[in-house]
Amino acid sequence: MTSCGLTMPGTDAALFGASPSSTARLPDPVLRVRPSLGRPSMASFRTRATMNETASASSGRTCTAPAGAEMSFYDLLGIPESVSLRDIKLAYKQLARKYHPDVSPPDRVEEYTQRFIRVQEAYETLSDPRQRALYDRDMARGLHLAFSARRRSSYHDDEEIGERGDWRNQWQSQVSELKRRSESRSVGGSDNMSWAARMRRQKAEMATNGL
Amino acid sequence: MASSLLRSTFLPLIHSQDGQSYASFHPKPTSTTFLSKKKNRGAVVAAAMESEEENFAMVEKFSEMKEKRMLDFSGNKPATPILDTINFPNHMKNLSLQELESLADELREEIVYTVSKTGGHLSSSLGVAELTVALHHVFNTPEDKIIWDVGHQTYPHKILTGRRSRMQSIRQTFGLAGFPKRDESEHDAFGVGHSSTSISAGLGMAVGRDLLGKDNHVIAVIGDGAMTAGQAYEAMNNAGYLDSNLIIILNDNKQVSLPTATVDGPAPPVGALSKALTRLHSSRKVRMLRESAKEITKQIAGPKTYGLAAKVDSYVRGMTGGPGASLFEELGLYYIGPVDGHDVADLVVLLKKIKSMPAPGPVLIHLITEKGKGYAPAESAADKMHGVVKFDTVSGKQIKTKTPTKSYTQYFAESLIAEAEHDKKIVAIHAAMGGGTGLNLFQKQFPERCFDVGIAEQHAVTFAAGLATEGLKPFCTIYSSFLQRGYDQVVHDVDLQKLPVRFAMDRAGLVGADGPTHCGAFDTTFMACLPNMVVMAPSDETELMNMVATAAAIDDRPSCFRYPRGNGVGTVLPLNNKGTPLEVGKGRVLREGSRVAILGYGTIVQNCIEAADKLQALGFQPTVADARFCKPLDGELIRMLAQEHEVLITVEEGSIGGFSSHVSHYLGLNGLLDGKLKWRPMLLPDRYIDHGSQKDQIEAAGLSSKHIAATVLSLIGHKESLHLMDI
Repeated sequence: MTSCGLTMPGTDAALFGASPSSTARLPDPVLRVRPSLGRPSMASFRTRATMNETASASSGRTCTAPAGAEMSFYDLLGIPESVSLRDIKLAYKQLARKYHPDVSPPDRVEEYTQRFIRVQEAYETLSDPRQRALYDRDMARGLHLAFSARRRSSYHDDEEIGERGDWRNQWQSQVSELKRRSESRSVGGSDNMSWAARMRRQKAEMATNGL
Repeated sequence: MASSLLRSTFLPLIHSQDGQSYASFHPKPTSTTFLSKKKNRGAVVAAAMESEEENFAMVEKFSEMKEKRMLDFSGNKPATPILDTINFPNHMKNLSLQELESLADELREEIVYTVSKTGGHLSSSLGVAELTVALHHVFNTPEDKIIWDVGHQTYPHKILTGRRSRMQSIRQTFGLAGFPKRDESEHDAFGVGHSSTSISAGLGMAVGRDLLGKDNHVIAVIGDGAMTAGQAYEAMNNAGYLDSNLIIILNDNKQVSLPTATVDGPAPPVGALSKALTRLHSSRKVRMLRESAKEITKQIAGPKTYGLAAKVDSYVRGMTGGPGASLFEELGLYYIGPVDGHDVADLVVLLKKIKSMPAPGPVLIHLITEKGKGYAPAESAADKMHGVVKFDTVSGKQIKTKTPTKSYTQYFAESLIAEAEHDKKIVAIHAAMGGGTGLNLFQKQFPERCFDVGIAEQHAVTFAAGLATEGLKPFCTIYSSFLQRGYDQVVHDVDLQKLPVRFAMDRAGLVGADGPTHCGAFDTTFMACLPNMVVMAPSDETELMNMVATAAAIDDRPSCFRYPRGNGVGTVLPLNNKGTPLEVGKGRVLREGSRVAILGYGTIVQNCIEAADKLQALGFQPTVADARFCKPLDGELIRMLAQEHEVLITVEEGSIGGFSSHVSHYLGLNGLLDGKLKWRPMLLPDRYIDHGSQKDQIEAAGLSSKHIAATVLSLIGHKESLHLMDI
């Protein structure tokens, strides 16, 4: 492991155009979309930035990933995505031991604490099979939300919010289409009318003719 | 905001650590040490995190999500301020969306509170709390018709339609029915209990409305489980063709069977349709496509390309319907969805829009809900707490009384497993009732030999017939009343061709709280009239195990046996639960006596024995016999009973046309009624017995031991002793 405690083999800083020590912002606070689609190919895009300890310590920014980099939970724990629960636990325990505030070196307290929190969160999500499944699904979709935001609400809710938004757009457009159809059907009279359309026409005629 | 965030995340994180890892690396863990250190950390780290604005932009997005209040499941009567103002749906018209959401939550609390005291169906009602609120807010029952398929999810509907004060009597004698009932309220548009009838009924109501020139709305609410039945497709096929205005709400919670789980835990729902429905709302590839499309447009900046990307998006959106949507569309229904079934605002907006359209035709709204939503013990239970007895609201634990004997269902499952261990050809089929039929136990032992076909009794029977042609030994385990749905298949596909399908009819006779919709009154009648069918009924659990073995042995013709809801009587079980085949067409005499003979069929024989005990106390010794077989009848036994006694009473827990009728025909044809014999049948009366406890129902039917004894007394002319029977 590196001195930062996070194994980050290789780097693809070029893709994200930022050096590890910069404090660039992410372009889109809501959607951090991964440019790739398939899961296997994502590994190459995923941030494997080396942690520049000196730089981060001096800038006061803790061991956060460079801008645009999405450190997934798997990266954080330093494990590949296909690990079993046992391996996740082992990785977590190692890191927790390292970053626990009580055992961290005094000058690095804040950054270690932050890292600890993240490691903790990563473990909590990945050790629950359901949450892990949701997390994996999100990653595949390219939706990677920040740790602390995720923690506030359960994983289930968050993923639903994203989904629900999609659904709402979809059914709203379906309803508009239905409205158009309904209006055209209540007016028109083609030859091939369904039973109900004939009844509707009859009713409309009765209404217009007065009774 | 940051510090509160941190605190809320930090503290639980510490405490959720497993103790072991601490002990191993920290020499002296003390909680006080942790706390003091935490305080400092909190402040410092908070400062560090302030600067991460990206995170908070995200947090803001999610703070839009309303912080829901914690629901009160403490076991005390929940405070329900909004619900208290509502007696009928017209009181809901002026509620705001916020109030409607609170109302749905109050309904949840009320239902958990009530059902915890009465028992009944829990989680299905919790899943439709928002839908019920939205429907009653937008539509006006009883003019508008809402038909709830199966009907066990109508507790919120009943509460909102003037029956809240009687909810504590639900499913009890003289209380509210557990299912919608037209007699009970004008807001119950259609009586249901068996599944998949709602669209058919709704279409009938819609067409009736059209013919009469009315303009009310008709809404049918059907679940994805009920959607697996053929009748639902028959109805949709017709609805699409007729094109009448009809709203079909597909309540999709990925629950098909009861339970949608094995004995070891949750399972995916059976059937290809379930998968198709899932594809409709989790089309991951398409979403990824859309996301990447968005990303591409961002990178290639410029208004032109953005326009292009928007077009791509809308095209893709058109594709997101997926294969299932086109199935509904092909049937002529307009598909809308998926829609979040727990978002009252969405539902109200959507329903209002459709309500305002003059000619939408048949519309199918695909709602995604979670069974048991809002009550954590139900959400996490494998069976979702579908049907419960009294339970503790805080923990969700049911208060099940320990009984000395198991249920007949369990004895059946155990003996079938024992048979299947000896005979590889035995297979079991059920229709989405793995829990109720006990076949989940069979499935655990023989996963490849247990078939859950979904709610499809007709298919189950013919499927079993097909298996039988290949030499297998299918045990088709379907509740007596649900087998009614597959009757033609029994007659035409099984009996006519004399295929050796075995029918295990659970819940025969009166069933208690579920009421007449689930009552198995007719199975003896409709099975015993079939020429090739062997029809038998055990009087206790040992007989049941022997009849399972008998059925397994009958390989040249179809056979069936019926057993009730309830527990065994405590007879000695055969070794390893493996029964011995009985001689077909032979009954047995349980008690020797004189003058009076009581011939029972099925578990009602236990009541006959009790009646004989009562009569013995008065000095009479009736003969008690267990017929065992309705077809073929034990002619010798009947002849002996008829010739050697003055009085013969046949007793069964079935409707007219069953065992007693067959016996009467036998007696008549053999001249046994030409002498001095007094023969009387005792059976279920010619009316539907209301829901209640099984004991009360037997009393209402006049088949308790008291009634049997009283009948004997009145026939032998000892009417003066009747008062001793305490009827």
